Amino acid sequence: MSDLYDAILNGNAKASAAATRTALEAGAAALDLVQREMIPAMDEVGRRFECEDYFVPELLLSARAMKAALELIRPLLTSSGAQPAGRVVIGTVKGDLHDIGKNLVASLLEGGGFEVIDLGSDVSPERFVEAARTNGANLVCVSALLTVTMPGMKAVVQAMETAGLRPKAKIMVGGAPVTQRFADEIGADGYGENAAVAVAVARKLVAAPQPA
Amino acid sequence: MRLKLISCEVLYREMCAAAARAPHQVDVEFLPKGLHDLGGAAMCARLQEIADRADPAVYDALLMGYALCGNGVAGLASRALPIVIPRAHDCIALLMGGRERYQVYFENNPGVYYRSTGWLERGENMDQSILGIVKDKTGASYSLGELIARYGDDNGRYLFEEFSSYQRHYRQLTFIATGLEPDGRFEEQAVAEAARRGWQFDSVRGDLRLFEKLVGGEWDENDFLVVPPGWRVKPVYDGGIMDKEPIP
Repeated sequence: MSDLYDAILNGNAKASAAATRTALEAGAAALDLVQREMIPAMDEVGRRFECEDYFVPELLLSARAMKAALELIRPLLTSSGAQPAGRVVIGTVKGDLHDIGKNLVASLLEGGGFEVIDLGSDVSPERFVEAARTNGANLVCVSALLTVTMPGMKAVVQAMETAGLRPKAKIMVGGAPVTQRFADEIGADGYGENAAVAVAVARKLVAAPQPA
Repeated sequence: MRLKLISCEVLYREMCAAAARAPHQVDVEFLPKGLHDLGGAAMCARLQEIADRADPAVYDALLMGYALCGNGVAGLASRALPIVIPRAHDCIALLMGGRERYQVYFENNPGVYYRSTGWLERGENMDQSILGIVKDKTGASYSLGELIARYGDDNGRYLFEEFSSYQRHYRQLTFIATGLEPDGRFEEQAVAEAARRGWQFDSVRGDLRLFEKLVGGEWDENDFLVVPPGWRVKPVYDGGIMDKEPIP
């Protein structure tokens, strides 16, 4: 594989930016770099994370390297008129200030071709709804690290429902104490067990056919 | 009754004080605070291993010096001994005397970092090595020096910044004084920490009622979940926090 692929896999941000510049100067197409280098590299990072060869620090470093490449590539993608894989509103649930996981998922989604609107931490259901409506989001991602704030996720699901934004916009939940069972109980559309699988779940959710 | 208590070391002083005055004989086993860093399922697996060692011929019940703890007790199964767990999200609620008081404080005081004697003096000295790979998994407990040694200067500094960034969102440090402190040293430490981080400081009076009831055998439905043999803990995320379900 290429230098860019290796730089992302090894979490080397400087090498990643350098490899991107070199590739672009040599005439590589921006979208090709994303699809043939960056996404496969992040898929491999995810695979290594799954089999406990990589851990959170490695995931963060690879995401950082990927962002370094993306910053150079994004303006070219935009000017070429490439459509994002989806438009995502993301934040941690009201009362929860722990955002490492949310930041990581936001980076990975960006790397996966999504347009990401990051609302930060301690986000009220009203702010999720407002941002989803204003931006025409088709995915809302909500994260919690504390079980005490988890009921707030249900409030987001209900607020999205009341606002009439579902089922057009899907809701994905995640965070250390969150489980598939909980996601089902509160009526969320998707659940990511960890940051590494979040992109795959997000792709599946935005690709799902709309109910008639 | 003879009771076996398995407790997080963060509650060391409170559990020892309660056990000393208990009407029952309580055998106490403390486990490292770092167990939390394993994450829910792995933490529960370790707790289960230790719980399963309690001899049903010796004990009448197994007490947990834990709360839901990030789902660390979710799925914990009772094999031969009933398991008793206080209904709370975490140790802060235990130290405050109940989940209701904690909920009100939590909602009225956003961005609070909590301290108690256990949070100030525990977690470093007890042998955390049984946890093995934990540090690698989260990375969050490494010092700046350790991160640089492992990941190089640029990446090490980046990771340290990422792992400590959540602290920027905190606004206040609250010390929970249970009355078991020998003097003002712990509160002074907490005050100094708040000043160092630029946070407001608050001190609240703790309440040991849940500790006393736990070792006293007063396991009413409102404050405790009693899991009979053949059942396990199920988190419910409502007022009761946890419930029991049959082991499938």
